[in-house]
Amino acid sequence: MGEKVFMQGNAAMAESAIRADCKFFFGYPITPSSEVPEYYARAAKERPEENIVFVQGETEVAVFNMIAGTAATGKRVMTATSGPGFSLGQEAMSFMSAAGLPAVVVEVMRSGPADGEILAAQGDYFQAVKGGGHGDYRVLVLAPYSIQEMCELMQECFDLAEKYRNPVILLTDSLLAKMREAVELPGRKTSRVDQRDWTLTGCAGREHHVLTTCGDGAAQWEAFNLNLQEKYAKIKANEVRWQSYQVEDADIVLVAYGSMARVAEGAMKMAREEGLKVGLIRPISLWPFPEKAFQGLAGKKFLVTELSAGQMVEDVKLSVDRKEDVRFFGRLGGVVPSPKDILAEIRKLEVK
Amino acid sequence: MKHELLFSGIGGQGIMLLGEILCNVVIEKGYQVSFAPFYGQEKRGGRTMCNVVIADGMESPIISEAELMLVMDERSLKDYEHLVAPGGTLLLNSSMIELEPQRRDIKVVKVPFYEIAADLGNAKASNMVALGYVLRYLPFVDREAVEKEVAKTFSAKAALVELNVKAVKTGYEYEEQV
Amino acid sequence: MKTIYKRPESFTDAVTSYCGGCGHGIVNKLMAELLDEMGLREKTILVWPIGCSVYADKYFKADAICALHGRAPALATGIKRSLPDRFVLVYQGDGDMVSEGMSEIMHAAVRGENFSVVFINNAIYGMTGGQMAPTTLWGQTTSTSPYGREKSSSGYPVNMAEIMAQMPGVCYSERVTVNSPQRIAATKKALKKAFSYQFEEKGLSFVEVLSPCPTGWSQKPVKALEWLEQKMIPIFPLGVFKDMKEGEGK
Repeated sequence: MGEKVFMQGNAAMAESAIRADCKFFFGYPITPSSEVPEYYARAAKERPEENIVFVQGETEVAVFNMIAGTAATGKRVMTATSGPGFSLGQEAMSFMSAAGLPAVVVEVMRSGPADGEILAAQGDYFQAVKGGGHGDYRVLVLAPYSIQEMCELMQECFDLAEKYRNPVILLTDSLLAKMREAVELPGRKTSRVDQRDWTLTGCAGREHHVLTTCGDGAAQWEAFNLNLQEKYAKIKANEVRWQSYQVEDADIVLVAYGSMARVAEGAMKMAREEGLKVGLIRPISLWPFPEKAFQGLAGKKFLVTELSAGQMVEDVKLSVDRKEDVRFFGRLGGVVPSPKDILAEIRKLEVK
Repeated sequence: MKHELLFSGIGGQGIMLLGEILCNVVIEKGYQVSFAPFYGQEKRGGRTMCNVVIADGMESPIISEAELMLVMDERSLKDYEHLVAPGGTLLLNSSMIELEPQRRDIKVVKVPFYEIAADLGNAKASNMVALGYVLRYLPFVDREAVEKEVAKTFSAKAALVELNVKAVKTGYEYEEQV
Repeated sequence: MKTIYKRPESFTDAVTSYCGGCGHGIVNKLMAELLDEMGLREKTILVWPIGCSVYADKYFKADAICALHGRAPALATGIKRSLPDRFVLVYQGDGDMVSEGMSEIMHAAVRGENFSVVFINNAIYGMTGGQMAPTTLWGQTTSTSPYGREKSSSGYPVNMAEIMAQMPGVCYSERVTVNSPQRIAATKKALKKAFSYQFEEKGLSFVEVLSPCPTGWSQKPVKALEWLEQKMIPIFPLGVFKDMKEGEGK
């Protein structure tokens, strides 16, 4: 730590991944994530001593399977994409979670649906958190709200992926990706979970290893599934993360993640200056969702703000005592509200 | 302390570069700075706008109101005039904007950035003229440090270094004809 | 007593789940023999497809992964780029490669990925109950072409070995079959060549094997061998379509 640089989110994130010993990147360019493959492509040529491998795949369908392949050999590997590309990768997300492949995926959200816009949005919450793939699987999802946190979580994603042998998603958006901020780039991270008891490297000197997700009858397949559920239960028990700001005395608690949490924090400060008792809960792990953050807050009103038509708000309603206490404010299409806009929504709640 | 700025223009005017140079300098002073760019999908000629927030701690990168807004084209004026803080300053590139602002609760300053840059030999340096002018409103930013950063930015071409450093200086010292 | 024939060392004790008269078992055995003879087993990573060979990981004493339907060449790309000195062998059927995974195999060829691909063409979807494949012949009845494949609605059978030969990233492309002892021997020779090219880093090596599917074709095994000879080979001619080393190519 120590070296402070003014860097764009995507680039700072890519550098942090390299420093976390992720030397393999497979990607398909898509705005607003393209600076990540671009960074890796340059690094692969300009830093030969680091043995970085960059491959531009033909589709995200292929790319997500490529990262599965490299993960199967025990090397750290990632891709970065945005909504439409992430949709194409869903089949492989399900596969990697089932096969126990620890790849890391960065999803830089832009506004959909369909081709959509390249501006910031959070409409891929469902796709990332609930999973757009098939079957009963879960994926850890982390959502940073500053470039500093993005760099730190980027590195942690690899540790978590290896710890649980499961893919991990770093969920960001157009705003965080394109923004520049001063960031202390995290240092080199080389300590790893030993993966040698399952990876595919050729079976010299050991029994051969097989990775398969093909069922062999209902009983066998139910047992396989129950094993997976045990893995997800462990993640759920251990990896819940959130930050609460001034919720104790608050009448109204804002709930926001990612770049919207930055804006909401600004709104909270403005509200406090006006004497309004406003707090903020910022989920950092979106799956597992920080249900615990909402315990002991009965009687308070919650204002969930998202750059979507209302996705995380469903998880908030499942976490509070009375779902009637939950209100929602969202903007769509790439419009990002300002702290002042959210303050206006807070005032509406106060009046009632 | 917290300063919220907004710079807007069309692609090719160098608005993003202006913002980035400013941020690079301010960051050296130890302030928390965020630079949030917004582009249209087109590669050239589309809209470019950035929110710059300079503060002691981490703030929303999306501004609520701009205490200083630099607007280089008419469409930006139409789109963002409402975001100028009451009592704040709206700085207009009068070389390209004939439209009159509607607001009465703000200070409006018109400067012909293109003409000034053209007089220096290249209208393309109008963004650096504007940067120099903007510095008048940001007394905590050291002008010499900005000139150094500009020189660094254009270091590949000596002629451009001279032109752009001069543009910053000229903008800073420009006296409006009343 | 002298041992003149034994089960390949690279095979486990598992009994395959292939139907009687199916070509998969023959090709699997040739692969196991070659892993033994070429000393490859301990440096091998097998990439299996979705199809009748979906359980083939159980038959080999080698590291293996079963890919998603059609994605084996992409998965293998991730493996080979990570471990360039290992022997990576991709095995796919016609539904898996030519339909679901046409993009993945073509782009592995575009990039000239340095692995070997064995393609089993039996002109039908075997595992899922005999549906039409891109390699199904005109007039051939399947469960999704109950009155025979029609050109007007389902187009043309796909000749993969010829297509792959056109790709600059492919170093070797041959079509063989396993409907007679001589041809089984020729298939082994082709596989051996394809495997050895991987160590010369020449690019993608490709062997298409015309394989009988008596169950899918609703024929007796012997009849299936005849049908393959009379119906398939005229559409899918045998031969070497590309051999960068020998300078061959049609």
